Amino acid sequence: MTRAHSVLGWWLGVGAASFLALFLAYPLTVILWHSIDDLGALLRAASNPYYRERLWFTTYQALLSTGLTVILALPAGLLLGRYDFAGKRLLRSALTIPFVMPTVVVAIGFLALMGPRGLIGFDLRGSFGIILFAHVFYNYAVVVRIVSSFLETLTPRLREAAALLGAGPWRVLFRITLPLAWPAILAAATLVFIFCFTSFGVILILAPQPAFATLEIEIYRLTARLLQLDTAAVLVLAQLLVIALFARIYTRLQARLALPLASHTLPLASPKGWAKLQLGLNISIAILLILSPLLALTYQAFWPSGGLFPELKSFRSLADTPRTIGFAGAGQAILNSLRFATASTLLALFVGFSFAYAVVRAGWRWLDNLSLLPLATSAVTLGFGYLLVFPQLTVSAWGITLAHALIGFPFVTRALLPALRSLSPTLLQAARTLGASPTRILLRIELPLLLPAFITAASFAFAISMGEFGATLVITRPEYATLPMAIFDRLGRPGAANYGSALALSVILMAITGGVMLLLERFGRSEL
Amino acid sequence: MSLKLDNLHKHYAETRAVDGVTVELAGGETLALLGPSGCGKSTLLRLIAGLEPVDRGNLYLDGEDITALSPQKRKFGMVFQDYALFPHLNVAQNIAFGLVELGWAKPAQRQRVAELLSLVGLKGFERRRVQQLSGGQQQRIALARALAPQPEVLLLDEPLSNLDLALRESLKLDLKELLDTLQISAIYVTHDQSEAFTLAERVAVMRHGRLEQVADRDHLFKHPRTVWIARFLGHKNLYTRVHSERARELPVPMPALLHSELVKLSGDLPAELRALRQTGQMCELELFVPSWGITLLWQGFARELPGGEVSPGKPVGLHVPEEAWVPLEEGT
Repeated sequence: MTRAHSVLGWWLGVGAASFLALFLAYPLTVILWHSIDDLGALLRAASNPYYRERLWFTTYQALLSTGLTVILALPAGLLLGRYDFAGKRLLRSALTIPFVMPTVVVAIGFLALMGPRGLIGFDLRGSFGIILFAHVFYNYAVVVRIVSSFLETLTPRLREAAALLGAGPWRVLFRITLPLAWPAILAAATLVFIFCFTSFGVILILAPQPAFATLEIEIYRLTARLLQLDTAAVLVLAQLLVIALFARIYTRLQARLALPLASHTLPLASPKGWAKLQLGLNISIAILLILSPLLALTYQAFWPSGGLFPELKSFRSLADTPRTIGFAGAGQAILNSLRFATASTLLALFVGFSFAYAVVRAGWRWLDNLSLLPLATSAVTLGFGYLLVFPQLTVSAWGITLAHALIGFPFVTRALLPALRSLSPTLLQAARTLGASPTRILLRIELPLLLPAFITAASFAFAISMGEFGATLVITRPEYATLPMAIFDRLGRPGAANYGSALALSVILMAITGGVMLLLERFGRSEL
Repeated sequence: MSLKLDNLHKHYAETRAVDGVTVELAGGETLALLGPSGCGKSTLLRLIAGLEPVDRGNLYLDGEDITALSPQKRKFGMVFQDYALFPHLNVAQNIAFGLVELGWAKPAQRQRVAELLSLVGLKGFERRRVQQLSGGQQQRIALARALAPQPEVLLLDEPLSNLDLALRESLKLDLKELLDTLQISAIYVTHDQSEAFTLAERVAVMRHGRLEQVADRDHLFKHPRTVWIARFLGHKNLYTRVHSERARELPVPMPALLHSELVKLSGDLPAELRALRQTGQMCELELFVPSWGITLLWQGFARELPGGEVSPGKPVGLHVPEEAWVPLEEGT
């Protein structure tokens, strides 16, 4: 790398690190300081059986959700990692849907399917089962993607060698495939555990009773409702410790996965006979799992009376919103959401690019892991931190914009890193010898070549901002209500009309998110 | 153990990877499957191993039809081009993999592993991780692993192609010695004719999914059936109607091959030295024979050159024995 490039990378790195320090580390430090500052509060909370019960329940539901998800998703992961078939690319794209679909959309999808007015006929709202269902929905794809993309890198020759040495299909699975995939399965499980441990939106909407309150929900209740910030800070500390432990396990496993075990460039086999049947079954499960809540939501929004023809009743009702205080109008919410998403995407692109550029061009490898920190921080905690240290920002539009950018930029960095790394240094040196300065090289070589990765990054950042729930809920004000806030608000009000407009708004949010992801599919690099 | 391939076929969407192959392998014999890349030789090996289903045709082991048998039941050993050593197991565990499937007791396994390690010259490597091994060592472990369960037939898929030249040469000789000692039936797939000729008594030349010629190595070298086989085996002095318009009456009908190693540089056939290229001890002469209207390439040691003036433009007398000429079939 040229010296001038590392200087540019250095400056961007300093900027990126400062952003992270100011808008993530600083609020978190203040909260943690609060938690240990008053030892009395710490001890009181720690000895309170109710909070101990919350910690236990949070861990328990996360473990159970993780176990269920892994059991259900492992067969699909093993099969997808082994076979190639028509439509595999499409299926892989479909598997990103749960990851980017906004929490509220998913939650309402589950209500439309198995809520009080649900399609399947039984009301599972407020049950432990519906929480597990929703968690499996969210994380099924995570396990399938991680396990299958790891197994794809393993040469099929290993299984063949084992077969020739006398091992039948099951023996090959237990002696070769599973032992080799073990780190990938554990890494996926760890990630799922972290997601479920900090689960917030789906539980708040689908099973809001105190018995099912996770630490995250309790933190929200203590800050936003009861204003007991000291106790909330203690819970944040407990949550952070657990997440930090699991995040450490995850990065360790990641490092092991990065070792080239037995990579290859052979084409994957096409499924035949028995394998075809198994694959078909698992793909059906995957599609059913991913699409059923979204289809139920769409059906209920367009066929509110269950007739033969679609109706636009729910959508029309959006227009005649009662003008009560604190009730966000539909048009206003859509506009707010689009504004916040645009602003925070631009900011996330800049910050995420700075991180990636500093990692690759200035060789600041430690920034790589640091850029993952926002993913391990719970959204509610982040919102809580902003309320605590940036009260002026949170009354302006900057609060939500910054929070969304902070949550979105790790995806930008993830998308840009491989693209930047694969940019050959000789290209830059060639441009250099042709007389271009580093800034000109950035503009004429690097940015144009990074365009597909930028589109991927922007799509993810935009979709995440559109759907962000936890942080927004904590710092929102009526005039800044986003679509998820407007939907949540309507869900909390009684009556079929409110349910109908929540459905209608969810369909709009789903359509915007889906549209952005289609853009990604068309122009970006689909792998993150 | 004798293995018989009877009219094997394997077609992929557009290509006939294996197109009616019939050949027999006698017990203890090494057969080389020689052909350029993409000729279907690796596919044929995978059909024999049972890793790909056969479209049509049958495989017989000692007269018993094994076409439908799954690979784990065939008791064949295979060494893969990239070795396919199990990365989560150490050297001893890799070698013992097949013994575990056979249900061998631990002490017997240990003994067999030690035996094989000494056979391939890697005594004491039991606890090494396979990632720590060099390419040549990995190749030997892969061989030991394939041999451990005492397979009926050993299949080798270009086992030396991932190694550098010097190592390839020495391992080639080691492998030859090992195959001779073990007296095991083996099929050796390669694109390198020197490997095929060193290791196998019999060589099957494969092209476009078909066996072009199956013959003892000496016979194959002396009497390649077609122009293409002769060229593929590296023969330089080939005369076909297309390429030698100026060729007049040759002692044999065209297309034909002239074994220049049988040509002596002293005789009464007048020729003219067109070019002389010397590389160290070896030299290469381009000789024009006016009465035949052909140019022939003569390669040999520089010390074999006749005394006196040997320089381009000078006349040279040649002796071309009758058996130096071999008529070929068309087929390019």
